[in-house]
This record gives sequence, structure tokens and C-alpha cells, in this order.
Amino acid sequence: MAQLEPGTLVTVITILVSGVGILLGTIVPALVEGRAVLKALEGMTRQPEAAGDLRTTLLIAMALLESTAIYVLLVILVLIFANPLLDRFF
Amino acid sequence: MNDFFPQVIFTVFGIPVRDTIISTWVMMALIVALVVVARRRWPAALEMLVGFLSDTVSDIMGRPALPFLPFLGALAIFIAVANIIGVVPILVTPTSDINTPLAMALVVFFSVHYFGMRAKGVIGYLKDLASPIFMLPLEVVGQLSRTLSLTLRLFGNIISTDLIVAVIFALVPLLVPLPMVGLSMFTGILQAYIFTALAAVFIGAGLEASEPVESESASQRVSESAS
Repeated sequence: MAQLEPGTLVTVITILVSGVGILLGTIVPALVEGRAVLKALEGMTRQPEAAGDLRTTLLIAMALLESTAIYVLLVILVLIFANPLLDRFF
Repeated sequence: MNDFFPQVIFTVFGIPVRDTIISTWVMMALIVALVVVARRRWPAALEMLVGFLSDTVSDIMGRPALPFLPFLGALAIFIAVANIIGVVPILVTPTSDINTPLAMALVVFFSVHYFGMRAKGVIGYLKDLASPIFMLPLEVVGQLSRTLSLTLRLFGNIISTDLIVAVIFALVPLLVPLPMVGLSMFTGILQAYIFTALAAVFIGAGLEASEPVESESASQRVSESAS
């Protein structure tokens, strides 16, 4: 570890952090959205006449839940393809 | 990888014009041409589209949608066509450049305040914004974060599907990118609906305490123009 240049060290740490970040950033929103769909479907079976309202609310709520996963994806994309921290060492 | 980011094509008086802007011009001409053709041949299609948008907006806002329909309907159609037009060979998806979603989110931000001030008056709207006075910083931060989240949601969805299609295209160009292209078109229309619905929610939240304006005459005007 002592012979690594700072640039290579930053790249290695970036790769590790990207892997762990994408792992958490996709599993957690998927679990939470699955739970939301479960509750919405239960409500639809209980009251079929409210299905239209439930569908609209579910769609909007899923988009809002998905947006945090998108933030994680954007940060990981910027780190992998256009890492701004590499300029500090080169 | 360089072709993935927006390129500057030419400059007009020192202002660089990107390929996404040229795509937007082509898209605007296409929408106008389609509407001019569809007015004579299939007017029922345009009525269905406007009816769907009007029902969506008035369901969300809980009041007749007519004063807000030009702005929100234009937003929905613009984003839907913009997300789809990346399939045409020469053109680039306009929303894959972060400036386009940012511009639209800023317009929504200013329109929330404009519609609120038009309905409640400037002083009344500002008083509603700061009704418990400790909510004022929360309101300001909330408005800014809503704008940022609208931008990043639209931009992130579109550019992530574009990137996946580009990577698959670099690996196996023959038929394998097609399902991903289909998914990106479906995601594009869904994101247009989500953007419009969220804009309607924000405008409705800004108008909260005011009465619905022109309730009878709006429905009369729509039924008159339809018959």
C-alpha cells in the first residue's frame, strides 16, 4: 500500500465506494417500493371503486421514492466517468 | 465516450448552440406539423389528449384545470416528445442535457409563485407562505429542493437509460439494444406524466387557501368549444 501513488489510491477507493454505493442504492429503494405497492394492492382489493385514485397516488409516490435511487446513480456515474477528485492529485 | 455528452455544433454571435438545441427545434416543428395535420383528419385524437390532460390536472388540483392547462399541457407534451425523439437517428434526446430539465424546473418554480400571487394577491400569498413564522425557512428550503429534485429525477432517468443503451450498443449492436430502447421510451412517457403531475401538485399547494376561480364558465366554455 505504501508504493501506491495518490492517483491510484483515489481510483481504487472510488471503485470500492461505487460498488457498495450502488448495492445499497438499488436494494433499499426496491424493498421500500415493493412494500408501497403491496399496501396499494391491498387497498385496491378492499375497495375496487377507489382503484383509480389509488393508482394515481401510487404512481406519483413511486416516482418520488425512485428519485433517491436516481440521485445515488448520478453520483456514482459522475465518480466513475468524470471523477473530479482526480484533478487534486495529478 | 465523447459522443455521449452534448457537443457544440455552431455559435451564433458568440453563444454556442448544442446538438440538443437543434433537436429541440426539430421537435417543435414536428409537434406543430402533427397538430396542424391532425386538426383536419383526426380531431378526436387531439380531443382525447386534451381531455386526458385536463382530467389528470383537475383530479390532482381539486379545482377546474382550465387556467393552468396551457402551461401544464405544453409541459407534458414537450417532455413526452422530447424523451421519445432520441430514437430518430441524427437527433439527440434534448432532456439528456441537464440544462433542459433545469430550465423546465425553474419555469415550474416561478409559475408556482406566479399562480399563487395571481390568485391570492402578493401580500396574501407571502403571508400564507410564512403563516407560522418558523415555517418560513422550511418553506424556502422546500421550494429549492423541490426544484432540484424535479430536475434530477427527469435528467437522471433519461440519461441512465441512454447510457445503458449506449453501453449495450457498444457490445452487441445488432438486435439486443431494442428492448432497452423500448424501455427508455416507456420511461420517457412515464416521466413526462410524473413531471406534470408533480408540477400540478406544487401549483395546487401554492394555491391552497384560495377559492376555485371561474368554475361554471370554465366547463361551459370547454363544452361549447367541443360541440
